[in-house]
Amino acid sequence: MFEWFGKVCYSPHTKIAAFARYLKDGRIMASRCDQCGYRSFPPRADCPECLGGDFTFEEVGGAGRLLTFTRIDAAPAGFEDEAPFIVGVVDLEDTGRLLAWFGETVPEEEISMGMPLQVVPRIFEETPEIKVYYSLERPGTSWVKGDSA
Amino acid sequence: MADSTSSPAGPRVGVVGIGHGVFGRRSDASVQELAFEAYREALQDAGIRPAEIDASVIGAVPEYHKQRSVGGVIQEYLNLNPKPTWLTEVACASGSAAIRTAWMAIRSGLHEVVLVIGCQKMTELSTAEILALMGRVGDVQWESVFGTTFPGYYAMFAQRHRHEFGTTDEQLTLVAVKNHYYGARNEKALFRKEITVEKALASDPVASPLHVYDCCANADGAACLVLAAEGRARQISDKVVWLDGLGCATASMSVLRRPELTGLPSAVAASRQAYAMAQTTARDIKVAEVHDCFTIAEIMAYEDLGFCAKGEGGAFIQEKQSYIGGSTPVNVDGGLKAKGHPIGATGVSMAYEIVKQLRGDCGERQVPDADLGLTHNVGGIGQYCFVNVFRRD
Amino acid sequence: MTYAYRDLFDLSGKVALVTGGSRGIGAEVALELARQQCDVALTYRGRAEAAAAVAAAITEMGRRALPLQADVASFEQTDRTFQHVLDQLGRLDILVCNAGITWDGVIWKMTEKQWDTVIETNLKGYFNYNRAAARIFKDQRGGKIVNISSINGLRGKFAQSNYSASKAGNIALSKALAKELGKFNINVNVVAPGMVLTEMAESIPPEFMNLAVNETALGRVATTGDVANVVAFLCSDRARHITGEVIKVDGGQYI
Repeated sequence: MFEWFGKVCYSPHTKIAAFARYLKDGRIMASRCDQCGYRSFPPRADCPECLGGDFTFEEVGGAGRLLTFTRIDAAPAGFEDEAPFIVGVVDLEDTGRLLAWFGETVPEEEISMGMPLQVVPRIFEETPEIKVYYSLERPGTSWVKGDSA
Repeated sequence: MADSTSSPAGPRVGVVGIGHGVFGRRSDASVQELAFEAYREALQDAGIRPAEIDASVIGAVPEYHKQRSVGGVIQEYLNLNPKPTWLTEVACASGSAAIRTAWMAIRSGLHEVVLVIGCQKMTELSTAEILALMGRVGDVQWESVFGTTFPGYYAMFAQRHRHEFGTTDEQLTLVAVKNHYYGARNEKALFRKEITVEKALASDPVASPLHVYDCCANADGAACLVLAAEGRARQISDKVVWLDGLGCATASMSVLRRPELTGLPSAVAASRQAYAMAQTTARDIKVAEVHDCFTIAEIMAYEDLGFCAKGEGGAFIQEKQSYIGGSTPVNVDGGLKAKGHPIGATGVSMAYEIVKQLRGDCGERQVPDADLGLTHNVGGIGQYCFVNVFRRD
Repeated sequence: MTYAYRDLFDLSGKVALVTGGSRGIGAEVALELARQQCDVALTYRGRAEAAAAVAAAITEMGRRALPLQADVASFEQTDRTFQHVLDQLGRLDILVCNAGITWDGVIWKMTEKQWDTVIETNLKGYFNYNRAAARIFKDQRGGKIVNISSINGLRGKFAQSNYSASKAGNIALSKALAKELGKFNINVNVVAPGMVLTEMAESIPPEFMNLAVNETALGRVATTGDVANVVAFLCSDRARHITGEVIKVDGGQYI
């Protein structure tokens, strides 16, 4: 299931595989340790604070601010068709940090450090397999068109 | 933290022999033949026979070699069986990890004379295989799925450094200009021509704001050291260079868990450990080799190592403070940028240069009165950092 | 679980579009969806009065109804039709493609027009409407499509090379779309009736009707309600995990 996540998935075996299923349904999930409540995004199965191994997924809102970014011109294998593309790192309001591509609602010339962004679940539409990801968009963008947020 | 001078804890550790092959696209040699070039030179430099070596430690990154378990193959080709050997791997800092391990072996009294070989072939893989490996540098679950690359990560640091401190693209290229200037004067380097700022700024974009000339090149090559415990070291050599300070620290693999993105916390921590152990400070370092995989990395290194204040790395290079004659000459052998970066070999190549400087053997690239030198070797984007301080009494 | 199970086949708050909804299977499907609390738009080609009667029956149930004149074979008319549905009813959640014709004949006598007209209405018409619905359902990450085919699309029928081809085409079209649209939470299924008591069937000579009855295992032919029930099931949450499927409603006429 985790192989659904990302254009190329190198490492599909993981205890947090269900993250991809939630993302397919339009929800971005962090983890919360069942023992001590430690929250993490990206989600993780094992708690670094209390060493607990049980966790629950908790949805995060996806609002955040841009920490840094770069436009990648020389792309690795599997991403040649996408190049050049712009990746950004966002500090999430809820918890944690996330790296993703910029989406269509944010043209390159409008990118600036610290700008508010919304992380939006996305589907790779024209691949036969199920493949999902998320993108960085203008605040207020929802993953469903025509929906009032 | 242990004392650097001989104590009941163990003997002082010194470098008694050094060797270095030519870095480049070495389609003429296998990985073990490359290792032998550096090994031959080191043994001749030390004036010892192979029988006098107790063990070897090999720094290399396995996934680039067709030959599996490359350490064993090198040991065989160097004709060192049945002596002990093992591989150390921490990405681009593998060579320094081998040095640290050899130091520990000697300090503990387990071995007296240890060979360190940093060795790497990168051109055995096809372009496609290398491109595939390129994408797996950071966190493979959360970052590589978006096509991040090694230059991409450092580029994001550069964006941040630019935003917080006003570091300019031109200042970045000045690092490359310096390193190519010195590389032109180093017969072991891959690139032997100087470059200009204009040429650098006009080169193809790789990941904004970095261009091709901001990035080091993959290369094949090897370097070698012979380390020995104090008593034995003084018997072997009259120009022993002592490895008096060692620091090592790690940071998260993923940029998503770094406290800030304008420097490498592992470099700060490792350097402070090394300075304390060698009982010295940044100010006393006469010559340094830092990990300039990208120009921004060298600028951040000036700050992380304490050669200048945080945020002033751009000014440091602009004022030529890292040239010979400046406050701390850095990478006056060309650095990774001009030498090329055979990832397992680089850490040992850095030590080779520092030892040569401290012996006074660098000719037109000699830093005057060099008695204290430093190597700063980083794995990946600072997941691992090893800082070593060398001293000539 | 993020999915809430609703009462039986409750479709409240949803809007459906049924083609060929002025009579026969289409009319009964429209009425049944309305009974399950759905608002319904329905297309008709020429029978305005019949369509209005169906619409009236729907409004009497307290649901909204929208009869629309449309020639399903016209690609360029399709967008206008869908826009009209969105303008008037605000949204679309369900598409049932049902409009279809027969024009029988053995192949050695079949005219080009006989072939083209049946293919355009029965197959291209489904393409036109499935395409327009997919564009809406994809953006809202959800939707149900039921394409009415026939057991004669699963087997061949004498003197129906054009009809059988078009009905078989509906099945393959639906399977391809099930694969394309599944990731957007859209189900695409086929109902393949056998002989159904409709107006279209009234023109069939009695001896052929008897033949049909005797073919069945249950000894009877379907009512429009038999077909509508299955369509309504496929449009409900109870069928959320069925897609790319062909359900025959034929009393065992073709096993």
